[in-house]
Amino acid sequence: MSRIHASAEAFRIAIAALRANTARGVLTTLGIIIGIVAVVTTMTAANGLANNFRESVSVLGTDVLYVSRIPWIFQGRFFQFRNRPNLELKDSDKLARQLGPSAVVNPTDDTRRPVRYLSEVIENATIIGTTDKHMLVSSAVPEYGRFLTAYDVRFKRPVCVLGTTMREQLFGDVDPINKKIKIARGEYRVIGVMEKQGSAGFFGGPDFDSQIFIPVTSFVKEFGSRNRSFAFAVKGPPGTNVTDFEYELVGEMRKIRRLAPNEDDNFAINKMDSLLDAFNNVMGVVLMIGMAVTGISLFVGGVGVMNIMFVSVTERTREIGIRKAIGAKRRAILQQFLFEASMICLVGGAIGVALSFAVATAIDRFVLPASVSLPIVVIALTVSVVVGVISGFIPAWRASRLHPIDALHYE
Amino acid sequence: MTLELSSVEKIYDMNSVGVHALRGVSFGIDCNEYVAIMGPSGSGKSTLMNIIGCLDVPSSGTYVLDGSDVGSLSEDRLAEIRNEKIGFVFQTFNLLGRSDVFHNVELPLIYAGIRPAARRQLAEEAIFKVGLADRMKHRPNELSGGQRQRVAIARALVNKPSILLADEPTGNLDSNTGAEIMEVFDTLHSEGNTIILVTHEDHIARHAQREIRLFDGEIASDMLQSEAA
Repeated sequence: MSRIHASAEAFRIAIAALRANTARGVLTTLGIIIGIVAVVTTMTAANGLANNFRESVSVLGTDVLYVSRIPWIFQGRFFQFRNRPNLELKDSDKLARQLGPSAVVNPTDDTRRPVRYLSEVIENATIIGTTDKHMLVSSAVPEYGRFLTAYDVRFKRPVCVLGTTMREQLFGDVDPINKKIKIARGEYRVIGVMEKQGSAGFFGGPDFDSQIFIPVTSFVKEFGSRNRSFAFAVKGPPGTNVTDFEYELVGEMRKIRRLAPNEDDNFAINKMDSLLDAFNNVMGVVLMIGMAVTGISLFVGGVGVMNIMFVSVTERTREIGIRKAIGAKRRAILQQFLFEASMICLVGGAIGVALSFAVATAIDRFVLPASVSLPIVVIALTVSVVVGVISGFIPAWRASRLHPIDALHYE
Repeated sequence: MTLELSSVEKIYDMNSVGVHALRGVSFGIDCNEYVAIMGPSGSGKSTLMNIIGCLDVPSSGTYVLDGSDVGSLSEDRLAEIRNEKIGFVFQTFNLLGRSDVFHNVELPLIYAGIRPAARRQLAEEAIFKVGLADRMKHRPNELSGGQRQRVAIARALVNKPSILLADEPTGNLDSNTGAEIMEVFDTLHSEGNTIILVTHEDHIARHAQREIRLFDGEIASDMLQSEAA
C-alpha cells in the first residue's frame, strides 16, 4: 500500500523535475533519439524489404522445385559447376515420362533481345521460352487473351504473351491482341497479356511484369539450343510431400544424367525456401549492422543520461535530505530518480519514434513500401525505458544512500 | 515517559581523530512536556537533536522512544520512526520549493502510505490549524518567512507525532514574526503536544517549562523554568 503511494509520488516528482528542466532533458536524450531512430528505421526498412521480397517470390509456388545446372545461390567455387553438362529440352521430356502423368515438368529458358512494335523499341527485353505448363507451376494468369497452349508449343507457333509492363510500353492504350511484334528477327502474334505480378526488380531479381513468353520450341528455333541449359520447374502429384518428392526427383535426374552411385549430383534442385534463406541471411547482416549503430548511440545516450542524473541528484541533495527527514525510505528515493531517468529516456524515445515516422514516410515514398508497425514502436519505447533504468541506477542508488543529516546541511 | 536517554555518547570520526560530541547524556522527557535544549555552539545540542530526531544513532548508550529502543535500528526503520513519531521544524524551514503548501504538508502522509482521500483531510486540518487555509495552493516562495514556518509546523503536525522537534524555529525570522511562531508552539503545547525546542536564545527558551543546558557534550543544568527564575 505504502509502496503504491510512494511510487505515485516518485512519478509525480519525475514529471515535475522533467518539466522544470525540459531543454536539458531533451538535449540529454540526443543519443537516445538517434538510437531509437536507428532501431526503428532499420527494423522498418528490413520489414519493408522482407515483405517486398516475399510478395515477389510468392509468384513462384512454395511446392515447386526448380532443377537447374547451377544452383541459384552458392558461395564461391563457380568452377565446380562450370563443367556440368547442360540440361536439354529432351531431358525435360524424359523427366516428365519418368515422374508420371500427374507430375508437372515445365522447361524454361530466357534471353535478352530487342523487341519492336511499329516505332516502339525495347532493347534487352526478357524473352522467356516456356510451355503451357507454366500456368501450373506459377500463380501467373492472363489478364485477357489466353496463355500458350500445348498446341502452340508442339507446332512451334510464333505467338507471344506479354507482361503488363511490356504491354504498356509497346502498345500504350492500343489493344495488343493479334497485333504482331518483332522479337529479334522473328515476328510474333500477341495472344494474351498477363496480370500484374509486382516486381522483385529492387533486388536485381526478375521483374515478372517485363517478361514476354513464347513457346519454348519457338524459342529454340529462333535462338538455338547449343550452349543452352534449361531450367525445369517441377511439381509433384497433388498431395505429395515436397521433401519426399525432392528425393524422387533427385533419383530420376540421376538416371537421366547416368550418374554412378559414387558420383555427386551434377545438377541442382532449387526451392523458393532457399531464396528466402539467402535473403534472410542478408537481412540478418543488415539488421546486425543496424543494431550495432543503435547499440552505440544508445550507449552514448545512456552515458549522457547518467551524467545528467548525477547533476540532478547533486542539485537536489537538500530535497533528498528533507524527504528522508520526514520519512522517505531509501527505496522511495531510489524510485524517484529511476523514474526521472526513465521518463527522460521515454521522452527521447517518443521523439525518436516521431522522427522515425518521418523517415519511414520518406523511405516509403522514394525507396520501397515501408511503414512503422506497432510492435516496433513498443519495442523502441521499451528499449528507451530500459536504457533509462540502467543509466539512472547508479545516480539513484547514490541518492538513496545519502545520509539525511549530510543531505540536509548540503549547501 | 515519552523518551529516555541514558549515558548517550556520540563520537565523530574526523580524519581518524575521535571527536566527542556527547559525553554521556542522560535524561527523560514526559508526555506533554515543553523542553528547551540550550547551549553555545559546539556544545553538542545539534548532535543531541539529531539523535532525539532519529536522524542519527548514539555511539553508545541507549535511547528509548515510546517504549522501544531506537538506538541501533537500520536506516529504513529509522525513516519509519521519523515518519510516525517525530515532527521536525527547522530553522531554514526546509520546504520543497517546487511544491505548493498542500503538497508540502501532505508529504509525510504519502510516505506513511495513507490513501489520498484521508491524506487530503488530514493535511487540510493541519494547514487550517496554523491559519493558512487560504494559502493552500501557494508555493513557498510566494509566502513570508512566518508563513513558511507555519507550513513547516503543519507538516510536522500532520502525522500526529509523539514529539515536535524544533531546531531554532525563529532563527530566520524577525522578532515579531518569531513571537507569533512561539505563540503557535505555546498553543500546540496547551493542546497536549510534547515539544522540544533547540535554541540558544533565552527569550525563546523562556516559553518552555523546562530547560536543559548543554556544555561541552555534557548536561550542565536541567531544571524547571520556575526554579531558574
